[in-house]
Amino acid sequence: MSLVLTGAGYRYPTGARPALDGVDLRVEPGELVLITGPTGCGKSTLLRLAAGLLQRHGQGTVTGTVRVGGEDPAALGPASRVGVLGFVSQEPGDQLVAATVGDEVAFAMASAGWAPARMDAAVPRLLQTVALDVTEDRDTTALSGGQTQRLVVAAALAAEAGLLLLDEPLAQLDPAGARELLGTLRGLADGGVAVLMVEHRIEACLPFVDRVVQVDAGRVRRDDPVAAWQDEGPAIDAASALGLTLPGRIMIARAGLEETGMEPDGTGHEAVEPNRDPARTTSGTPLLTVQGARYTWPGADRPALDGVDLALRPGERVALLGGNGAGKSTLLRVLAGELEPGGPGAGRTPAVRIVAVPQDPDLALFCETVREELAYGPADARLPRPDVEARVVAAADMLSVSDLLDQAPQALSRGQRLRTAVAAAVACAPDVLLLDEPTSGQDHAQVARMMAGLARGLDGGALVFATHDVDLALRWATRVVVLSAGRVVAAGPPGPTLASLPAESPVVLSPLARWCIRHGRSLSSLDPAAPGGRPLDDDPSPAVP
Amino acid sequence: MDPRARLALLAAAGVLAVTLERPLALGGLTLACALPLLFVGIDRRWLRRGVLAVLAIVWSTSLSQALFYAEQPRVALLQLGPLTLWREGLRYGLAQSLRFVALSLGGLAVAVSTPPERLHAALRALRVPFGLALMASTALRFLPEITRELRTVRRARAARGRPAWQRSPLAWLRLELSLLRPVVARAWRRAHHLAESLDARGFDPVAPRTVRRPLQLGAVDLASVTAAVLLTAPAVAGRLLYVLYTSETWYHPALRPLYGWVRGWL
Repeated sequence: MSLVLTGAGYRYPTGARPALDGVDLRVEPGELVLITGPTGCGKSTLLRLAAGLLQRHGQGTVTGTVRVGGEDPAALGPASRVGVLGFVSQEPGDQLVAATVGDEVAFAMASAGWAPARMDAAVPRLLQTVALDVTEDRDTTALSGGQTQRLVVAAALAAEAGLLLLDEPLAQLDPAGARELLGTLRGLADGGVAVLMVEHRIEACLPFVDRVVQVDAGRVRRDDPVAAWQDEGPAIDAASALGLTLPGRIMIARAGLEETGMEPDGTGHEAVEPNRDPARTTSGTPLLTVQGARYTWPGADRPALDGVDLALRPGERVALLGGNGAGKSTLLRVLAGELEPGGPGAGRTPAVRIVAVPQDPDLALFCETVREELAYGPADARLPRPDVEARVVAAADMLSVSDLLDQAPQALSRGQRLRTAVAAAVACAPDVLLLDEPTSGQDHAQVARMMAGLARGLDGGALVFATHDVDLALRWATRVVVLSAGRVVAAGPPGPTLASLPAESPVVLSPLARWCIRHGRSLSSLDPAAPGGRPLDDDPSPAVP
Repeated sequence: MDPRARLALLAAAGVLAVTLERPLALGGLTLACALPLLFVGIDRRWLRRGVLAVLAIVWSTSLSQALFYAEQPRVALLQLGPLTLWREGLRYGLAQSLRFVALSLGGLAVAVSTPPERLHAALRALRVPFGLALMASTALRFLPEITRELRTVRRARAARGRPAWQRSPLAWLRLELSLLRPVVARAWRRAHHLAESLDARGFDPVAPRTVRRPLQLGAVDLASVTAAVLLTAPAVAGRLLYVLYTSETWYHPALRPLYGWVRGWL
C-alpha cells in the first residue's frame, strides 16, 4: 500500500511555527524507508500525520494532503483502517490494550470483524513473523522491552495492514535484538508491505533500508537511496550538519585514516585477554561496593542477578552493557539500595550519597519549575541560598537546561525532561550517579553533550550508566561491565574488554567501534558531534506525547 | 470461571453485606470473600500487609464506635476514667468495618483474577454502557502500573532529599501531594498513547466488534451462581419480613421462629 504526502504540514495549537511544513514524500509497497533527524525536528509528527491521527484527533492546523493507497487515512472507517495501516508509537508498553499476548495481537482483527477461527489461525502466524517466541496466554506486562516491541509490531500488522509506520522501534532493543527486528521489517517489506520508520540509530538501519529521509525543522532536507550513505556526498554532508551519527567508515575517512580492518558485524573480534578484575583498572578507596549480589524477581524462574561483584571508585565512569534482560537495571537498583541483594556473602557497602535517575525520567520530576527541581536537593540539604543557586546554575549549564529554568518540567520535550532529571541529580553533588538508558529518545549530538557535561562536572564522583549503545560506552566509560543472564561475563577497560567478547554476545560492536579498538584510536577523535556545535534541543513540538 | 459469574457472586456478596447485621455472620462473609485471594497467587508479603490493614480497619472502627456510640439503649462494657466502651457501639463498629472489608476483599479478588478485557466483555454482556465498561477495565489494568510509578517517584525523591519524616506535617503533606504530579503527567501521556493505539487499531466505541473468545457459562459457574442465589434470597426475604415486623408494618404469629432466626443469626 503506497503512502503519498504532498505539501503536508502541521502546526500544533501552541506552536510558534509549524512542526511540519510542506513535506513531499512517497513510500511504495516493498520499500523500507528510514526517517531520521535531530530530536524535535518533526519526525513523530510526520508519522502521526501519515497515520491520520492528527487529522482526526489533533487540535492543530493540517495543510497539504496525505494518501494511503489513494485514500485519505483520516477518512477511513475503524474497520477498514486496520487493513490499511499499522502504527507503532514511541512507548511500546503504553500501547498494550489486552492482558495476554494472543488477545493483544487479535485486537485489530476484532475491530475488522474477523471470525474467531480466522483470528486463531492468524495470531500464531503473526507471532512467528515477528519472531516472538512466547505462548499466546503470556501476560503482556511480563514481557521484556524487546518482546513488547515485537508484540506491538505484530499487533499493528494484525489485520493485514499494507503500510507500517514505526516510531523509534529500536529504542529499547539491544544491538542483536535491533538487528533481528530490522530483519523482520525487511522481510515484511520484501513481502509487499510499505514500511516507514523513524530512528536515531542510523548505522544499524543502513543494511536493511532502501532510502534515508533526513528531516530538520519540520522539512524534508534530503531523500536519498541508501547507496548515497556509502560514501562522502551531499547526503553525508547534510547528516553531518544536522549532528547525526555518520557511518563508521565515513568518520574514519574524515579523520584522514585508512578504513582497513572494518569487518561486517559479528566477525573480526580479536582475542584480547579481558581484565576481569574491576579493581585492577582503577585506584582509590571504593565509594560503593557490592559483593555476591544475587536477586530474583518475584515469579521469575531464574535470578536477574547471580553473584555480581562490583566496586566503584572516585572518578570512574562505568558502563553496564548486556542484552535485554541481562540484569543491568536490576544491578543499578541494587547499587541504589532499592533492592536488597541476597545470596551467600551478599552485601553492599554504602557510605556515600547515591542518586539514581530512573529509566523513565518523568518519574524523577515532581517540582513546579526546572529551577525548583534543580534546587530541591541542595535546598533540602539546608545549604545557604547562594550555594543552592550556584549548584542550580552549574547543573543547568552542565546539562544545557539553563534556558528552561522557569518552565514546568513535565511540559518539556522528552530529551529536555531527561536532561532536567539528570541535572537535578547532579545538583545534589552525588558521590555516585546512576543512569538507566540515558540515550533513550535523544539524538547523537544531545547524548554527546550530556555525557561531556557529566564527564566534566562530576567532581570526584562515580558515574554508572546502563546502555545498549556500545559506542557510547567506548567513548565515555573508563570501565565497562558486561552482564549476561545476571552474571558479569567481562569487565575492564572498554577497548580490550569489548574486543574480547565472543561473536555470539548480544553486545555487538559497531564497525567503527571495532576499528577504533583495533587501531588504538579514541572514538571521540572521530566523532563530529562535539559539544559546542549545533544548539541543543530547540524542539518545536509539544512535550506530549 | 466466567467473569459474569464472578460479578454475580460479587453482587450477591454486596447484597448480603447490607442484609447481615450480626458481626459473626459478617465475619463469615468476610472470610468467604477473602478465600479466593489465597488462590490467585498474591505475593505472601502483600498478603501479610493486607491482613494487617484489615485488622487495623476493624480495630480502629470498632474502637471509635465503642467510645463514641450515643444511641440508646446502650450497655457499658468497660469504664476507664472518663472513657466508656459501649457494647452496642462495639457491635455497630464491627458490623460496619466487616461490611467494608468484605466488599473490598471481594472486589479485589475479582479484580486481580479477571483479565481486563474479560471483565470488559462481561460488563458489556451485562448491558453496562461501553464507555463505562472500558473505563473500568482500563483503570483496573493500569492500577498496578500507577502504584509502581508512585513508588519510583518516592524513591527518586528520597535519593535527593531528607527523609519525609524529618519535616513538619504541613511540609510533609505538600511534598506528598507534589509526588502525584509526575504520576498524573505520566498517566496522561499513557492515556494519550493508548488512545492513539486504540484508534490506529480500528477501535470505535459504537462500532461492532467480534470476540475471539466468547464468554461461556460452564457448569461450575451455574452451580456457583445458583448456590449464591439460594443463600442470598432467603437471607434477604427473612430480613425484609423482620423489618416489616420491627417497624410494626406487618406481623404474622406463624413467622415468630423466623423472626428469632433473623435476630439471632443475621
